[in-house]
Amino acid sequence: MKRIGMLSKKAFAESRAPIKCFGDALLEAGREFPRIVAVSTDSSSGSGLTPFKQAFPDRHVEFGIMEQGALGYCAGMATTGVIPFYVAIAPFVTARPFEMFKNDLGYMNQNVKVVGRCCGLTYSQLGPTHHSIDDVALLRTIPGVTILSPGDPVSIVKATEALARTEGPAYMRIGSPNMPVLYDEDLPFEIGKGILVRDGKDLCLIGSGTALASTVKAADILEARGISVRVIDIHTIKPLDEDIILEAARDIGKIVTVEEHFVNGGLGSAIAQLLSQRLPTPMKIIGVEDHFVSNGPYNALLGMNGLLPEQIAATAVSFLSGI
Amino acid sequence: MIISRQEQLAIASRALAMRGDVLRMVKASGAGHMGGALSAADLMAVLFFRVLHLDPANPRMENRDRFVLSAGHKCLILYAALAERGFFPKELFDSYGALDSHLPGHPSMAKLPGVEANTGSLGHGLSIAAGMAMGLRFAASPAKVFTLMGDGELAEGSNWEAAAAASQHRLDTLTAIVDRNRLQIGGKTTDVMSYEPLEERWASFGWSVRRIDGHDISAIASAFDALPFEKGKPSVIIADTIKSKGFSFAENKAAYHYWKATAEEIGLAEADLEKAESELAAMAGGLL
Repeated sequence: MKRIGMLSKKAFAESRAPIKCFGDALLEAGREFPRIVAVSTDSSSGSGLTPFKQAFPDRHVEFGIMEQGALGYCAGMATTGVIPFYVAIAPFVTARPFEMFKNDLGYMNQNVKVVGRCCGLTYSQLGPTHHSIDDVALLRTIPGVTILSPGDPVSIVKATEALARTEGPAYMRIGSPNMPVLYDEDLPFEIGKGILVRDGKDLCLIGSGTALASTVKAADILEARGISVRVIDIHTIKPLDEDIILEAARDIGKIVTVEEHFVNGGLGSAIAQLLSQRLPTPMKIIGVEDHFVSNGPYNALLGMNGLLPEQIAATAVSFLSGI
Repeated sequence: MIISRQEQLAIASRALAMRGDVLRMVKASGAGHMGGALSAADLMAVLFFRVLHLDPANPRMENRDRFVLSAGHKCLILYAALAERGFFPKELFDSYGALDSHLPGHPSMAKLPGVEANTGSLGHGLSIAAGMAMGLRFAASPAKVFTLMGDGELAEGSNWEAAAAASQHRLDTLTAIVDRNRLQIGGKTTDVMSYEPLEERWASFGWSVRRIDGHDISAIASAFDALPFEKGKPSVIIADTIKSKGFSFAENKAAYHYWKATAEEIGLAEADLEKAESELAAMAGGLL
């Protein structure tokens, strides 16, 4: 039978570290693009930059714990043709220097790539100061900023390559714990084009980033219960692939979104904004509700916020029964 | 290279013309950030007519010097300098304040050639300028980078992040100019939030510091001629200036930070400019 959807036959067989995947991909991009400069703020090895630094010691700039200043420097460098890749802990490159992101990168339209690592609830034990579940909401408000949220190790590599090739300000959020490989290495990846992970007819689950693998697992659970599920990977939250979402709304008419982010302003919010105006469709948005998240083991925090596969499946069943 | 008497007078004449340009823009819109524009007029005249390597016919020239107006609200004096230098026709001055004007209330790269950064929110320009210096160093460019800051602006903490990094990375092609007119919207900088003594603060951040009279063309030129003050260090020029310099009714008054011009005040400003022109002509004799 012909496979419909990009999910690998070997999905979940292997896991890889997302930050290492990014760092290795940046090294490759650095070989192809001599103008790429890696920028860090006191966390270069934790940000996966060691291979790049070893290969190109003169193309790494360290700023210490200075995230506002670093973004301005990146913008200034970009005006001269340098392509800065600035990577650090997600909340400190988004929420903290938001105005620098808005003015120096967005309004000045500079070719700076910002990578927020350990996004979402990754730094579970460290509490809300280190959780980054508002980054998408904040950066979505800046015109012209591309927002990537790749959902497996293969797509992190593809996204990094795509960022190096694409002009303009961009943000990519990646997690920290090992992620299951969902895709084959020949995955076609295009910024702004969602991926049909697998097809189905009763419900459409849309996931992104660190929540994608759990979304796929939830779909497995639902399939076992006789519910046919289409799964879509929205790795680019901005610009949003409107076609793939409108098609799902037309074909299926029932959509559940899943993200490791506040329900306020994230992926589900963007999709609801689209559908409410173009094709009103029953929806459920799964994510962190309007509260600060506690501290503790990562999976426990995901469980407190309904983000484990079994919980996603249960929420989907209850959503379907309520329509 | 000591600046000649003739060149001093020529630059003074440009500075005076730029003050007239500021008045023309304020007349067009009825208001504008005048005080800090005029305190910086002489510094800007020396920069744009002696120091900066620019080509108005090719504003994106690869190895041009960069000027970033960190205190973006002083844009009237940037617009005046760019127009006097030939970047755009002076007729544009009359659009100041109009819908979609190329001369917004804070400068925009997309709207006007010669603008190098979108400033307006304070505490951004030094990081951007320093990043430019870093990027130009990667490209082995000889270009220099200058940024003009207000003294009130120095309360933004991001400036001190940028200052520390410029020193750490030995950006000696970078020069900051602090227009120390000692006034901000709320009154005296030393009363509102003092960062004095500026000389010691900048020096402690690893910068090489020189203090000058920011209205003395010869002193300004000498300072720029001496850059970098120390090899391997960024340079800062602390320029003592007078807010609203040149408009006698407004000099040293915080209330004229943003000027909503009355007809009477415009008349006074025009009279001040006429008087200054005739004084300059008398001083110049046959030199200009």
